[in-house]
Amino acid sequence: MRRHRAVLIALSTLLAASLATIATPANAQAAEPNQVTNLTVRQGDGYATLAWKPVEGATDYQIERTPVDAAGNPTGTPTVVGIWRPNRQINQESPTFADAGFNPGDRFQWRVRARIGTAEQPYSEPVADTTTAPWGDPNVPGQQLRTQWETTHAAQYTSDTNEYAYTAAIDELSDRVRVVEIGRTVRDRPINMFVIGYPTPPATPEAVAATSPVAVNCNVHGNEPGDREACLIMARQLAFSTDQRVIDLLSHTTVLIIPTINGDGRAANTRGNSTGQDLNRDYSLIRQPETAAYVKMVRDYRPVAGYDGHEYGNSRAGDLPMLPPRHQNVAQPIFDESMDMIEGHMYREGAQDGWWPCPYGCEGGGSVGLGEETILRNTLGLKNVVNSLLELRSSGGQTRPDEGNTANNRRRKTFSALWTFQQFLDYHRANLTDITQARAEGITLQASNTGRLVFRGSRPIPAHPAPHPGDSPPPVDAPRPELILDNAPCAYLLTEEQYHGARTDGPGGVGATVAERIAAHGWKVIKTANGYYVPLNQPERGLIPLLLDGQGVEKLTDGQRIYPTLTGRHTGPLTITGFACLDDATVTGPVTVRPGAALVATGTTFTGPVNASGAAGVMLADSKVTGPVRVTGTTDAVSLIDLTVTGPVDLSANRTGTAPLLVGNTVTGPLACAGNTTAPSNLEVSNRVSGPRAGQCATL
Amino acid sequence: MTYPRIRNPRRAGALLAAALLLTTTACTSGNHNTGPDPSLAAAVHVTGPLCDALPTGSEPGNPTALAGLPAGEALTWMPTLTTFEAAVRTSGVLDEHGTDGLTLLAPTDDAFVKKFSDDTWDTLMTRDHEKLRTLVKAHLIAGTHSLDQLAAAGTTTTLDGTTLTVTRTGDTTRFADTADAVCADYQAKGTRIHIINAVLGPLPTTADGTGHRAH
Ligand SMILES: [Zn+2]
Repeated sequence: MRRHRAVLIALSTLLAASLATIATPANAQAAEPNQVTNLTVRQGDGYATLAWKPVEGATDYQIERTPVDAAGNPTGTPTVVGIWRPNRQINQESPTFADAGFNPGDRFQWRVRARIGTAEQPYSEPVADTTTAPWGDPNVPGQQLRTQWETTHAAQYTSDTNEYAYTAAIDELSDRVRVVEIGRTVRDRPINMFVIGYPTPPATPEAVAATSPVAVNCNVHGNEPGDREACLIMARQLAFSTDQRVIDLLSHTTVLIIPTINGDGRAANTRGNSTGQDLNRDYSLIRQPETAAYVKMVRDYRPVAGYDGHEYGNSRAGDLPMLPPRHQNVAQPIFDESMDMIEGHMYREGAQDGWWPCPYGCEGGGSVGLGEETILRNTLGLKNVVNSLLELRSSGGQTRPDEGNTANNRRRKTFSALWTFQQFLDYHRANLTDITQARAEGITLQASNTGRLVFRGSRPIPAHPAPHPGDSPPPVDAPRPELILDNAPCAYLLTEEQYHGARTDGPGGVGATVAERIAAHGWKVIKTANGYYVPLNQPERGLIPLLLDGQGVEKLTDGQRIYPTLTGRHTGPLTITGFACLDDATVTGPVTVRPGAALVATGTTFTGPVNASGAAGVMLADSKVTGPVRVTGTTDAVSLIDLTVTGPVDLSANRTGTAPLLVGNTVTGPLACAGNTTAPSNLEVSNRVSGPRAGQCATL
Repeated sequence: MTYPRIRNPRRAGALLAAALLLTTTACTSGNHNTGPDPSLAAAVHVTGPLCDALPTGSEPGNPTALAGLPAGEALTWMPTLTTFEAAVRTSGVLDEHGTDGLTLLAPTDDAFVKKFSDDTWDTLMTRDHEKLRTLVKAHLIAGTHSLDQLAAAGTTTTLDGTTLTVTRTGDTTRFADTADAVCADYQAKGTRIHIINAVLGPLPTTADGTGHRAH
C-alpha cells in the first residue's frame, strides 16, 4: 500500500482531490439481489480505478461511464466503456478496472453491473468524480510544458520538431535533466536521451553507471507511437515533480529515457527505419546507426533494468502484454528476476490499479515472443539487464468497447504505458538489491563460460491455472537440436579480413566492420600473430557465439572455434607464448605470460604467482590463484572476474583501450592499480578485498 | 532537412526561445492550436458513421477548424488517417499537383491494416516509391467534388487514370464496389476529403489477417 499511495501523490496535480477515494453515498438503499455494491473510484494519471464488492456467480462485469457537470447532471450519453473478465487479475475477490480513454480533467459518473451468463444484473449506485487533469501546474515553469499530443487532445502525435523543442525546454528548465544525443538516424535525426537524476544527474556515463540506472526505450517501431507519448509525459513529471516519491526515486538511481530511437520510422509511420529495416531485429547485429547508438549507450551507461515499448495487434490480449528475455543463453538469474518484475510486481500492482498485464501472446497471440537475440528484450538479457518488452493492445478489443473513437484509444494506450513505466521505476527502487544481485550472478555465470550454448531457442514461460493473467503464455519455443552446442569453445578466432574487412550490410550498402561492432558491444579482443581472439569468459558470453559462430542463425561472421589448450594437471613452471586457454586445469608452479602472448582461463586453480608483463591479454574467470597476480603493460585486454586470490593483486601501466575488469573477486591481500591508461571498472559488482585498495582500484 | 543538436542546451539560442514561447503560450492561455481561427470559416458539416469518432464540436482537429488549411496539413489532424497522411507526404504527389482543386479519397488506418502486411507497407514507404505514388494517385481526383456530386455523376476518374464507379444505396456511397465513404466532405484549402474504409488501386492484398506480428 505504501507504494500505491505514493504513486497517487506523484501523479496528481491536486493532492487533496486525488487522495480521496470517492465512494457511493453511505445512505444508498439496501442492495437489490446481485447488485454491485461498495463501488469506489480513485483517480490516477489518465485513468480512474474502479473497485467494487464482487457478486456471487458473476461471469463478468460491465463498467458504464457518463459525463456529468459539477452538479452531477449528465452532459452526455451513458456508455459501457469496460468489461471486467476474471482473467484480468490475480485476486478475483477484489475486482478492479482502470477506466481510461477519457479526456483527463473531465468529470464523470460510473456504475458497474454484473452479468451472470449473459443476464444483466442491476447496476450499482453511481459514483461521480473529476478525473486528474494533465500533469503539471499550468502556472509553474517546466510543469506547464505540454506535448503536441496533449495540446491536441490526442488528435495528433507529437512530431519530431515538437519533441525536440519540448525536450530542449525540459533540459533548459530542470537541473535534474541532461539531454544527451546518443546518435543520429539514417536520415540524420538526433536520437536524444533524457538522463534524469536528483538533484542533478551524474556528470559522466561512468558516474551514471555507478547509480545502477534504468532505461526506457519508447519507440522502436515507428507505427507504434503510444509508449513514446507516455515517455515524454513521464520525463516532465520526473523533471519537475516536487513529490517525495519522485525525489526519492531520483536520489537513488538515474533514469534514462530514449523517446525515439526510430525517428525516421516515426515520421513516416513505418515499422522499420528509413531503409525498411525492422530495428527490433537488429540489436545484436547493429547494422543500422539507430541500434548501434542504443548498444553503445548500454555499454557506456550500463542500465541494470529496462523496458521496451510497443503496440500489439491481437485484440484479445490483455491491456499490457509483457515478456522477459527468454533466449536460453540469458543467465538464469536475469530471466528469473525479469519474470519476477512482471509476474511479481506488475501482476500484483495491475490488480491494485485495474490494469491488465499478461504474458505476450496471451489469448491466441500466435507465434510471437520467441528467442531471437536480435530483439532488444533478448539482447538486453544477454547483456545482463533485467528487462521486459511492453505491448499496448492496439485496439480496444472486447474489454474496452468505447475505443472506436481514436482519441479514446490513443489515451488508453498512452496512459497504460505511463502507468507501467512509473511502476517500473517503483519496482527498481524496491528491488534494487535483488536486481543487482541477479546482475552480479549473471555476469559471473557468463564469464565462467560453463554450460551449453544455444543458438536460438527460449526458456518456457509457465502457465498459471486459469483464470489468471498468466493463463495463456507464449509458445514453448525450445531450441532445435541442431541449434545446441554442448561443448562451448574457449574463444573465437577471427582473421584480419573477418575483423577489419569492409561490409555491405548497412544503409546504402555500407556496414560497420566486425571490429567496430564488437567495440560497440564492449567485448574484449586479444590480437596475436594468429589473428583476433574473442574469448568467451566475458560478461556477454551468451551473445558472442550468436554473432561469431558459423552455426549462428543471424551471425556476423564465421569465427574459428578455439578450444582449450590445457586442461587437467600441469606441474612446474608454465611460460605462455602465443595464445593459451586453460579450462578446468590445475597448475602448480609459476605462470609467466610473455610479451605479446595471451592467457585465458576458466575453472582453473593456480598455485604459484601469475605474472604478465607486456602481454596482449590476460583474462581469468571463475578460478583460484594462490600467489601474487601481477599484470602490467598489457596491450589489448585485462579481465579478472570471480577469482579467489590469496596474495596481492597488482594491475599497473596497462595500455588497453577498454577498461580492465575487476569484477566480483575475493582478494586476500592488497589490491593496487596504478597508471592504467583506462581506469579499471568493477561493472558495479564489487570485489571483496581484505587488504588495502590503492590507486585506481581504491573504490572497486 | 537538418536538425539542430541540443547537446549544450543552455547555450542554445533562438530555437529554444521559440520553443518555450510556443509551449508557454499554448498552455497558459488554455487554447489549443487548431489552425486558423474557425470563426473565419463557415461551419463545415461532415457526414458518415465514422464522423462521431473523430474530433467534433470545438475539439482540436474539428472539421470547421481544418477548412482553411492546406490539404497535407489538414490530414495531420485526422486521427484515423496516419497511414494515408504519411503516404501522401512521402509520395510528394500533393506538392506536384499545385493549387488546382483536388478531391482525396482517404482510406482509414484500419483499411491499410486489412490491405498490406507491415513488410509490404515498409517496402512501399522506403523503397518502392513509384508504386507508392501510383497508390496515392489512385485515391486522388482532379477538382473539388462533394460526395453528393460524385454520387450524382456515378463514375469518377482518379489521377492514376482509373475510372471508378460511385454508387449510392440508402445512406451509403461506395467507390469501385469496395470502399464506402465513412466520413465525407471534409474541406481543406481547394480540397475535399472523403474518408473511406478500404484501399483502392492496383496493388495486391498482402495482409493475411490472422497472424499478429511479433515485436
Ligand atoms: Zn513493436
